[in-house]
Amino acid sequence: MKILLIEDDRETAGHIVHGLESQGHSVEQVHDGIEGLAQARAGEHSALIVDRMLPGMDGLSLVKQLRTEGRQIPVLFLTTMSGLDDRVAGLEGGGDDYLVKPFAFSELLARVNAITRRHGEGEPTKLRVADLEMDLIRRTASRGGKGIDLQPQEFRLLEYLLRNAGRVVTRTMLLENVWDLHFDPRTNIVETHLSRLRSKIDRGFGAELIHTVRGAGYILRAD
Amino acid sequence: MRIRFLYTEAFRLSAIYAGIFALSVLALGSVVFVMTDRAFRDQVVLFSRADIAAMRNGFDAEGVKEAREVLQQIMGKPGESDFFLLQKDGKKIAGNLPPMPAQSGIVPLPGSGPGHDILGVGDFLEPGLYVYAGSDLQRVHAAEREILQALAWLFALAMLLAIGGGTLVSRSFLQRSDAMARACRAIMDGDLKARIPVRGAYDELDRLAGTINEMLDRIAALMENLRQVTNDIAHDLRTPVSHLRQRLERAREDSHEAEDYAEALSAAIEKTDEILQLFASLLRIAQIEGGARRADFSPIALGPLLTHVRDMFGAVAEASGHHLELKLQAEAAIRGDRALIIQLLTNLTENAILHTPEGTNISLLLSRTDERALITVSDDGPGVPREEHDKLFQRLYRREASRSRPGYGLGLSLVAAIAELHGADISLRDDSAPGLGVTLSFPVTLPTAQGTG
Repeated sequence: MKILLIEDDRETAGHIVHGLESQGHSVEQVHDGIEGLAQARAGEHSALIVDRMLPGMDGLSLVKQLRTEGRQIPVLFLTTMSGLDDRVAGLEGGGDDYLVKPFAFSELLARVNAITRRHGEGEPTKLRVADLEMDLIRRTASRGGKGIDLQPQEFRLLEYLLRNAGRVVTRTMLLENVWDLHFDPRTNIVETHLSRLRSKIDRGFGAELIHTVRGAGYILRAD
Repeated sequence: MRIRFLYTEAFRLSAIYAGIFALSVLALGSVVFVMTDRAFRDQVVLFSRADIAAMRNGFDAEGVKEAREVLQQIMGKPGESDFFLLQKDGKKIAGNLPPMPAQSGIVPLPGSGPGHDILGVGDFLEPGLYVYAGSDLQRVHAAEREILQALAWLFALAMLLAIGGGTLVSRSFLQRSDAMARACRAIMDGDLKARIPVRGAYDELDRLAGTINEMLDRIAALMENLRQVTNDIAHDLRTPVSHLRQRLERAREDSHEAEDYAEALSAAIEKTDEILQLFASLLRIAQIEGGARRADFSPIALGPLLTHVRDMFGAVAEASGHHLELKLQAEAAIRGDRALIIQLLTNLTENAILHTPEGTNISLLLSRTDERALITVSDDGPGVPREEHDKLFQRLYRREASRSRPGYGLGLSLVAAIAELHGADISLRDDSAPGLGVTLSFPVTLPTAQGTG
């Protein structure tokens, strides 16, 4: 995947480039907004990672400009931690996701993967991995044809995992997307709900579908 | 310094008023002067015509001799015309004026003799027989000079009043603006408690002073907040950072295998994340206390929100042997920042889960009065001694009992900051029932239960 990184802090940029390249992606890096806009307009990239604060043209204006021109490229915003309130503005301005610095590299990687996939898809009404099925309209889930009774939050959790099937999702992504929590809770909400979900969809069905990826997060896939 | 008042707005205004006043006095004076002058002249002409009419009567009755007789009679009387002439074909018959070119109608004789300015009327009694009667205008001029003088005095007095009044007004204005400047200077010099004196008259300046004082109070509160945050960061980052340093140092000494290093590095990254988390929390509190998020307020239905919180933590509470229960006694909607209210409820619920022993019942209760929506998070655990209640919401306060657990004592100060942002009061249950009960009382802005969650 060819990714355009627009980040003026060269140390952070170097860190990101190194990480993404070691994952087999090719990264082009630019250090100011105006140059960044020009590169993004060339339209050769599959994803854009943009810092909110940039010399020349700030990240939000840059993305707004791209969206005004009708460009659909997936965008991940980066921001400093004092910019917590910028999240809403960033997403409304056309960003697909938002990551607060400093971040673990696994977090960035998972989010880049998530936004690039999301763009390719329409909105399916049924999700399926192996013999696990979800009907989003009828709000039902089943495995191997056997109905599974899920609490509302378990349903949302499974839906999110299924939508991202085959890709790592981080704990933070789950907190944000399933529970709408934009801070780190002190109790293990994610672990608790995941273990309940596992006991419902994995126990007694032979092959496990939800896997823990150490140091990164979780993944739903059929081995 | 002395003539500084010349540059004040009050003085400028009074100067403008004085100018307008002076112009109107001048205009009024001119009108009075012109009208008086005309009246005097009309009177002179009137007298002259009357005298000439008397002479004509004499002439018509008994001829030139009688006209001359009448002339001399009138000339002897005071209060009538002063100057007369009766001439026949350019030769003077009687009167006190030298012969002159005969001309009928109103005839001024300027410069006729030293000190005289005569105005009068000439007429022909019969062809060739010319008669003239007139008065000296010197008396008129004298009266007019008197009027002018009076006007000049009036003008001077008006100017004096305007300038004097303006000076007084601007002096008092200056004294008050000086007081403002002094207060501002005192604040600039470091006395942040200085405020602008308010006279209590509730005039424009008082209102201005009041507004500035309110602004200063707000700035002072923000400064205090900033100072507090800076102190907190200075004091409380030292501990985890020095722990981090100790660990890294020990890892360098004790590690022999690559595995040891990897483990030490993981531990160091974890510790760094904790420190960053602390930073983020402090910044977040400061941000919320700064009030910047108020712009994002929208209606929130509390029932669905509390249900969401219960669903989130029900399983967590159960996993740690607690029981979490939700009681919705009423529905209420408030205006607020949904993400922040969720964080507030998360903090209170997590506190109850983390700081009470197994078997504790925790309850989330929503009730309301006419004007307030009440959310109570309570438990029947060991509770917090009454004397510690006040300290609970202070930034970085940690009870002795909880010092061994992770965290930096920011949870409840964040709760306090979010509550304050929403105009909510926090109270702690103060009865003999076991456990801790925290009640948040939000102002209800929507009269009915409907709203978007």
